[in-house]
Amino acid sequence: MIRTLNILMVGTSLLGLVGVYALKYSVEETASEKARIERQIDRQEGELSLLQADWAYLNQPAHIAPIVVRHQEALGLEPARQEQFGSLASLPMRPIEQPDTGALDALFESLEAGVDPIEQLIETN
Amino acid sequence: MAIISEGSAPIALDGGRKARGNLTKARIRWVIAALAIVFAVVAGKLIQLGTVVVDSTIEGRERDLITASRPAILDRNGLEMAVDIRVPSLFAEPRRIIDVDEAVEALRSVMPDLDETWLRNRLSGEKGFVWVRRELSPAQQERIFNLGIPGLDFVTESKRFYPSGEEASHILGAVNIDNQGIAGIEKHMDGEDVALLQSIGLARGNELSPVNLSIDLRVQHIMYEQLVDSLTRYKAVAAAGVMLDVRTGEVIAMVSLPDFDPNEPMTAFEPVNGKKDQRFNRVTSGIFELGSTFKTITLAGALDSGLVKITDTFDARFGVRFGRFTIDDFHGKHRVLSLPEVYKYSSNIGTIKTMQQWGKDNFRAFLTKLGFDKRVPFELPEMRNPNVPEKFSEIVAATAAFGHGLSISPLHMAMATAAFVNDGYMVAPTIYKRSEAEAKALYRPVISPHTSAYMRYLMRLNALEGSGTHMDKAAAGFRAGGKTGTAEKVVNGRYSSGLNLNVFTSAFPLEDPRYAMVIIVDEPQRENEQSGVTAGWNAGEVTGRIIQRAAPMLGVSPDFSETIDASLVPVELR
Repeated sequence: MIRTLNILMVGTSLLGLVGVYALKYSVEETASEKARIERQIDRQEGELSLLQADWAYLNQPAHIAPIVVRHQEALGLEPARQEQFGSLASLPMRPIEQPDTGALDALFESLEAGVDPIEQLIETN
Repeated sequence: MAIISEGSAPIALDGGRKARGNLTKARIRWVIAALAIVFAVVAGKLIQLGTVVVDSTIEGRERDLITASRPAILDRNGLEMAVDIRVPSLFAEPRRIIDVDEAVEALRSVMPDLDETWLRNRLSGEKGFVWVRRELSPAQQERIFNLGIPGLDFVTESKRFYPSGEEASHILGAVNIDNQGIAGIEKHMDGEDVALLQSIGLARGNELSPVNLSIDLRVQHIMYEQLVDSLTRYKAVAAAGVMLDVRTGEVIAMVSLPDFDPNEPMTAFEPVNGKKDQRFNRVTSGIFELGSTFKTITLAGALDSGLVKITDTFDARFGVRFGRFTIDDFHGKHRVLSLPEVYKYSSNIGTIKTMQQWGKDNFRAFLTKLGFDKRVPFELPEMRNPNVPEKFSEIVAATAAFGHGLSISPLHMAMATAAFVNDGYMVAPTIYKRSEAEAKALYRPVISPHTSAYMRYLMRLNALEGSGTHMDKAAAGFRAGGKTGTAEKVVNGRYSSGLNLNVFTSAFPLEDPRYAMVIIVDEPQRENEQSGVTAGWNAGEVTGRIIQRAAPMLGVSPDFSETIDASLVPVELR
């Protein structure tokens, strides 16, 4: 009975040993993986900060203005003059068109008299 | 039992059972002793490990502090004015370097500008950490890394980068190599809370939320461009300008020339035309005799007191005599002038008479009310005390009425001008974003809304008929108005008639003012034969061009209808 117990305990110890070793190695691997990812994040954050700085630089009026000046002639660019500003309120209302009553009357009269002006147009052409 | 019986002695003097019992006890003792030793060793090692102090400092400074970052600075529209970039820095651990000569040679192949003897001294010895070169480019880092020298390593530092370059230099200030603010808003932020965060190691990575300033970079650019232009156009030695939002006190733009590159803070100490210390912020830390622009202040105070009416007239036929001195007018009309004419023709005599009718002590008290006795409460650390005499004698009060014999900063003047057009409510300027509701809580009335309406009329009148016509020509349609000031500079204790400091204070759109501006051009000369040297020709024109470009961006659209100007005229004068 003692013998079986001993064998069992030795077996358990061996198993534990192997288990702990495996765990240690897997933890080491995870740790190095973590370090690798951290390095990558660090590098990418560095790159990101450079790109952000680049983007900020490219968006500066101080950077854009010289480009505008360089292409001023080719593109016909000019600062807007005061007279070129307008608002909807400053547009005049559309004038109300008065129907030409005289011409309409003439049309109705000629139709009543049996003369179709469109037919005449087609015929003359 | 089996194990014990095997190891027992063959001859037993004692009883077998007793002998076996003694032996077992002895063995247990040995085992306990062995275990105790093992545990003692473990405990000892633990204590040893616990007492080891890891040196986390880099040349006496905390590593966290060196890699600490600063919050990004944005303008009011979210455009970056200052950002952090991560850059590698090279350090060496001399005690781990095997061959110093080889390391020196290899490093100099990448960075030939490093001094050989300096580098050799640096890398020799038993030190644990020395900087070799801070803030390398990624390409340099790659090449040094590929050299494979043992004992060299990199640490990533945060470096401040100002994408707008010189344009906002005086606002932003600068940081030193350890990323601590040494000037401008950077220094102010450190005084606030960034330094604390950094010292407890919190300010790392992108954890700090960005700071929004009140500056509009577009307007800042226009003001910068126009002031740079003014230096060549009028051959001026210096120029400065500030624009305030009159309702909130926010600084929209602030430029002072000559300036420096915040990316290279040492440029702030470079001499200009052989003269040292010229690159200071003239808006906050420069104090000047602002000349006739001060008449706005005299008239505002006089009208607000009720002792002077807008309909009053003043005899400006003869100069005012003080003992040996006679003060006369520059553009003398030499007749009886109405109060708006005093302003329009910038009459020294009329202004002195106005001030005398009001009383010199009232005048002095009004300057205190406007805060001209002390610095403007403002965030930038570069400030200087104004120089206003404690008590006014008759003659000092007379010269002060038209802006001589007392010096204030342009920011004082901008703050006062903003208050005069903003229904008389003064608010301290700020460089941080501030809402109108927040500003209203800080409002301090300095003149009545009624007097404010008079001032708007007078400022617009001066643009239409007075010395501001050059400004109004450029800024036509934007209902701008203001006052010129041409102050003779003091050279060797005397006023020099050749060298002027020209000022233009303005506000727009005057029927409902939003922005106030002060522009200074120092020692301007004639642009051409036809033009003059007084402020209207240079500071005024610069103001006009800035308004013309910036007003549409700020949401002020041009309006040419004459009813607006007519509506500004006070009822008494219609």
